[in-house]
Amino acid sequence: MEGERAEEAEKSKEEKAIFDASEIEYVSYAGEHHLPLIMSLVDQELSEPYSIFTYRYFVYLWPQLCFLAFHRGRCVGTVVCKMGEHRNTTFRGYIAMLVVINPYRGKGIATELVTRSIRVMMESGCEEVTLEAEVTNKGALALYGRLGFIRAKRLFRYYLNGVDAFRLKLRFPQLDMHPAYIAVQNE
Amino acid sequence: MDWNSTLAEQAEPSMSRRSSLPLSSTIPASPNTVWVDATPLLQAACTDLLDGELIHGENFNLFAAMSALEIMDPKMDSGMICKYYSVDEAIEDGVGPVPISFDRTTDVQCTLDIMDHLLACEATWHKGHSLAQTVFSCIYLLRPERTVPSPILHSYCKIIRATCKAIVSVVSDARTHEEEDLFTMAYGLPLDGDGDEKSLSLLNAVEENLCRQLRACKAQSSRRKQDMEPLQSDIDMEEGYCKALLCRLRFRKHFFHVLACMRRPQGKGLELARKHIASSISELECIRKSADFLISTASGGCSIGIEDRTTASGRQPIGFDASLNSRVSAPAPPRSIKMLSWNKAIEYFEKLLRDLDFICSYSLDPSLEVLLRFVTQFQSSRPDLVARSHLQLLLVQEGRLYGRDPMFAVITRAAGLPETTKNHDIQRYESVMQLGQLVINMLKIVCTNTAWQRRKLGKSLQDWRVIYVQLELAFTNKFGEVLAASKDENGVARVVKQILIWLEEQAYWIAFRFLMLGFELELYSPSEFFMVYWYLYAVLVKLAEKTDSRMEITEITAAKRKGKKRKDSSKDVGRETRIPPAVRFLQCQIHLVEGLTLLHAALRNEMAALHSLTPFNSEQEIFLQHFELLQKACIPEQITYHSFKESTSYARFSNIATPNCFQQAQKMAKELRSSFSNDHDRLAELRRLEQVAEHNSVAMNVICQLGAVEPNSLKVSFEFVHHPCYATAVVRRA
Repeated sequence: MEGERAEEAEKSKEEKAIFDASEIEYVSYAGEHHLPLIMSLVDQELSEPYSIFTYRYFVYLWPQLCFLAFHRGRCVGTVVCKMGEHRNTTFRGYIAMLVVINPYRGKGIATELVTRSIRVMMESGCEEVTLEAEVTNKGALALYGRLGFIRAKRLFRYYLNGVDAFRLKLRFPQLDMHPAYIAVQNE
Repeated sequence: MDWNSTLAEQAEPSMSRRSSLPLSSTIPASPNTVWVDATPLLQAACTDLLDGELIHGENFNLFAAMSALEIMDPKMDSGMICKYYSVDEAIEDGVGPVPISFDRTTDVQCTLDIMDHLLACEATWHKGHSLAQTVFSCIYLLRPERTVPSPILHSYCKIIRATCKAIVSVVSDARTHEEEDLFTMAYGLPLDGDGDEKSLSLLNAVEENLCRQLRACKAQSSRRKQDMEPLQSDIDMEEGYCKALLCRLRFRKHFFHVLACMRRPQGKGLELARKHIASSISELECIRKSADFLISTASGGCSIGIEDRTTASGRQPIGFDASLNSRVSAPAPPRSIKMLSWNKAIEYFEKLLRDLDFICSYSLDPSLEVLLRFVTQFQSSRPDLVARSHLQLLLVQEGRLYGRDPMFAVITRAAGLPETTKNHDIQRYESVMQLGQLVINMLKIVCTNTAWQRRKLGKSLQDWRVIYVQLELAFTNKFGEVLAASKDENGVARVVKQILIWLEEQAYWIAFRFLMLGFELELYSPSEFFMVYWYLYAVLVKLAEKTDSRMEITEITAAKRKGKKRKDSSKDVGRETRIPPAVRFLQCQIHLVEGLTLLHAALRNEMAALHSLTPFNSEQEIFLQHFELLQKACIPEQITYHSFKESTSYARFSNIATPNCFQQAQKMAKELRSSFSNDHDRLAELRRLEQVAEHNSVAMNVICQLGAVEPNSLKVSFEFVHHPCYATAVVRRA
């Protein structure tokens, strides 16, 4: 959906925040009071415009997949996701938005946020997780690469700004299946 | 946020249409349904809801949420940004005056600016923005009748509209997918003018008049000068203005002819198209050169940087407003438009014309193999939508290749069957007809943008597999008996057998292209190169094998046919030792990818380099995901993650350098040069292969020698310096 800019090595006039990783508090979405925080972070950092319906669609249906990161009471990052049947064949998780504000990037906050969501997805029985990221967003691509995502497809001029996207995909191991069986099942 | 600002405007037009229909009278209640007045419920819901809340129904999915636009939010509401509510309002406000100016010199200057800006708009449109927000941001185009009193501007606008129409038509006919929906959207725009003939005749008349004015101002005798009214009032500038206008008008004329010629059936206009392409390019060059003169006419100098200016003079054009059509554009958030500069627009058209010329230079070779090589070559220059659409329409017309050769004839030729087979009864067999359709689809797919192309090629592999199995089954069950009974050498069995061999070869070609496009699209991360090269190796081995079988059968068939006349079979004897160059070309690449695989494998096994652990899955899942489509289509058969692990686990620095695969590849590439001395493209590819092989051969020796002594002192990375898909190892000291 959106090209995450988390950890992007962008030049910014804003100074890097100095803090210890232990000072960051991660909380699960807890209700309507979190919504304005999420909306203002996404609005400020991501290129694609979303209506309030899009936000509500996600946080009301999958509050357990939405996390926020706070530093001394200030919301500095968030992740918004969904999961469900994809084409009636695969139970799939989807990362819709991931944002960490610039002064807090490069400290593993985005990785922690998204890892928490992915873990819930895995425990909920998802077989895979997908998302889209701008091809130019090296930071996000590296982050997801470290988590085991592959670039499954390139989507031509996917964003309103005309930039291509990669569809990234992470498949969880299917432990009870022998690889040969998986091949047969996919037939 | 008040209630009005959060009303959802649904994207589906059916929603708004439905609301105006008297529902209760048209849809009667059935035994299972009943009509209930929902007004009280809605009212109750309204008083209960806070601002921005919505009632969530089962069918309110992500698409619906994303399609909802917030009215009055400038990030979403396209209508918010416009300055005028209608074209008429803009005209009343004096945005597009006619005549542009009562001063004739100014009028000419402004006309030139409009022409230049329109060229920039057109190129921007071709590059993926909407027609409404680019070319048709010009008020003069939106009201065709208004420009009649200014013949030069009028003729230019006419030909622009006709050109846009021709381009929309070629792209929508080709349906190159993914990118064309925005491109061809021309709803509410006055594209339908008086027809091409009138556009051209007016353009010719205006051109002729300008020619006379140019001649008149050049003429020495003042008598002739008086015969002709000059273009504008500044005599010293007359020649420059005439020339600047002429090359712009002539470019439009030739470009329009190019488009028309290329659409002629069966490629019959290609030769003439090339002449117009050459003329278009030379007029573009004149347009470019006119910039010096036009900049000098811009009084007060130009404040816009050369990278941003959309006119040769550097002035802002009169008569444009990009927000005018925001109300007719798609029900989606407004797209930001970065207009191409005038310089970039000229570069775009030069590239487009070169791409079109490349298409026109094609010989319409009946061989599928030659054709696919041609298309691959064409795609390697990254042509844009318009050129690709033209190629696709040339390749497939009315279900025939070039509108000329029936698909079955194309297939039998590709399979190396004799000419007479093209009328064989088997073409009416269902699987064979489906195969024909599959070939058509493939031809269309290879003309699309590479991102879409790769996805479609990958998915099509399963169709190829299904047809293969069906044909094979039919061949053994139904026609097996026919073969036994008649022993007819030209019979069904042999035809099917040869088609099957070719079919497999074709499927492996698709798989090869699928894997190679992954590099161009940057779908593989460096840690995955290893498995991709390994899989590429497996695919190439099969491709070479199938190509060899198909060529061998073709040769035997040809020899037998000759033999019937001449009884000369001595040529058959040498076959076993002589491998055709096309196969050796593949073998050269086999050596190369084998070397790359081994090098990667040894680095992983010895140094734990290029090896990354992921928290949620393992290499096996990554392997399965990358090659899922190939695995589903059994390409190749019996290839699994375990065979990959097994075959790469023994590679060590001590055993990968002998035999040195890169040296073999290099040697082969050198030898093959003489076999392709007339094939420029393959010679170039051989040169690239040779460079990769040579560099990697040296790198491998360094790695193996140093790695054996102090493995941790090495830092190896892979870069695409000589070839877009085959990496070159770069060794550094850590």
